[in-house]
Amino acid sequence: MIDTQLASFLQEGLGIYLGTRDDALRPEGARALAAAIDADGAHVTVYAAEIAAERLRANLESNGQIAVSFARPIDDRACQVKGVCVGIRPASGEERPLIDGQWAAFMRSLDAIGIPSSLAGAWVTWPALAIRLRVTAVFDQTPGPHAGAALE
Amino acid sequence: MTPPLESLTSCFQGLLPAQLFTCAKDGTPNAAYLSHVEYVDSRHVALSFQFFNKSRRNITENPHALVALVDPDTGQGWRLRLLYVRSETEGPVFDRMALRIEAIASYCGLKGIFRLRAADIYEVLSVDPLPEEPACEARRRQRESLSPVFTLAALQDLSARINRAETLEQLVDSILAGLEASFGFRYSMILVPSEDERTLVTLATRGYDEDGAGAEVRIGEGICGMVAEARKPIRISGLLRGMLYALASQREARGELPRPPIRLPGLPNPESQLGVALLVRGELVGVLCIESEVPYRFHEEDKTTIELLGSYLAIAIQNMQLHERAAEPRTEAHAPASRATGPARRAAAGVRREVVYYNGAECVFVDGEYLIRSLPAKILWRLLNEHQTTGRTEFTNRELRLDRSLNLPEWKDNLESRLILLRRRLEQKCPDIRLAPCGRGRFVLELGCEPVLQTRP
Repeated sequence: MIDTQLASFLQEGLGIYLGTRDDALRPEGARALAAAIDADGAHVTVYAAEIAAERLRANLESNGQIAVSFARPIDDRACQVKGVCVGIRPASGEERPLIDGQWAAFMRSLDAIGIPSSLAGAWVTWPALAIRLRVTAVFDQTPGPHAGAALE
Repeated sequence: MTPPLESLTSCFQGLLPAQLFTCAKDGTPNAAYLSHVEYVDSRHVALSFQFFNKSRRNITENPHALVALVDPDTGQGWRLRLLYVRSETEGPVFDRMALRIEAIASYCGLKGIFRLRAADIYEVLSVDPLPEEPACEARRRQRESLSPVFTLAALQDLSARINRAETLEQLVDSILAGLEASFGFRYSMILVPSEDERTLVTLATRGYDEDGAGAEVRIGEGICGMVAEARKPIRISGLLRGMLYALASQREARGELPRPPIRLPGLPNPESQLGVALLVRGELVGVLCIESEVPYRFHEEDKTTIELLGSYLAIAIQNMQLHERAAEPRTEAHAPASRATGPARRAAAGVRREVVYYNGAECVFVDGEYLIRSLPAKILWRLLNEHQTTGRTEFTNRELRLDRSLNLPEWKDNLESRLILLRRRLEQKCPDIRLAPCGRGRFVLELGCEPVLQTRP
């Protein structure tokens, strides 16, 4: 579902948000810090601060439905991955460099467009949870004529 | 405890994009970027509906939504739980949002593409701070230390400066100087309606490298043009503006947008802009535009004060125009040349300047370079020809008013502002032709060169 080119975009350090919903179809969401795409292109692990991800846990355990939006601040290239949650676990110490690296890249891109990354100076990035999902669909969300189109 | 929505005003300025979470009827969640959340009242916000996208379809099926916002001053993240109530396609909220979108789009030559279809009104069910995105303490302290801009003392100071002005030229300059001295607005300009009623022309600027006097803007285009058309203030800050500005720059570089003869001055990437219509009894006297390098310089409450200030300035400008006109000497139109001393000045110079008047375009070029068009061009052409024929150097505003060839309207001809414009363009582009005031309603044509006059079709 996710080819290597798209995978490399999704892992370069983007603005990432996780969307879920409860059984009454009320949405819940949180910012994520980083993403790792499986080699098969069919599974994605998204990392979010534990304090934020805990808000989503009940929804993910109840219905598993998840949407992940990715956006690159410098050119607004954006995409949304839909899927079903297949596991939630604490992120390990070995995964921390991956999280910190992508988060730092995202911060640099904010600075590049004039948003001072010092705004995020007190934001919590650790401990983190790893949310693993099976991908069901991928959509282009870059503003323009192709926004909303499904990516094969 | 849910904090009041009013305490989140800086989040509603659109500098940082927000995130909108919705859910389809079949239970599929959706997460999408959102350029702007508009404050409506203490219980409602509005989201712009510009495109038929997934979020919009979800809302029609399921009214629950969630918005994540970041305070651009402190970094504090907020979560707003929303319930869709209705879509408005008219009224003050729609107008405010539509105007801002149109202004930004128009600024970039994209008018009509980024059109607001509706202002979607949501009830705010709860407002919660996000524990994972706390405020940065240093930035919070910095915001709390900022003093208010529009204090009574500052308004009083500006008013005193304006009252000291004796001519329209002094008045417009003192307004812009006062905005800097009293409020710290370093970059500003005043535009006035042109003769053809479809354009605004820049009369005075402050703070920019280029003077910009004479730069024209079509009514309805760009921030100043939109302000003139809508006759309402427009305040813009943030990312969307920056993005579209970049897009417009690229298009201009590729030759897709025409370059104007005189470029309107402006900061390369202002953090905030404010345009105010200067109105007297519904008549547009001009447009005041202020730019700032500081984000969020203009807050909602500032806009109200600036609007009030705008009507005060409009009255001051109109009053000065009437005053100058009433105080003009009532000498004959073809007064004898009291200072027909042209030859001495001409001889001193020895420099020849080719001054060409284009009849079709009604514009003047000096040594092949564009100087000015429309009424100020006709005035200059008349003065230079009169001087060449009779040697006269002293002229009155009144004789220009009575000159049928200039075709000035009998009432509200704005002659003074056109003369200011002409004087400023000459100072910039051809300083050896000067129009020096010499008493109320009189001026002297001073030549440091020998103009060689030509007309072309």
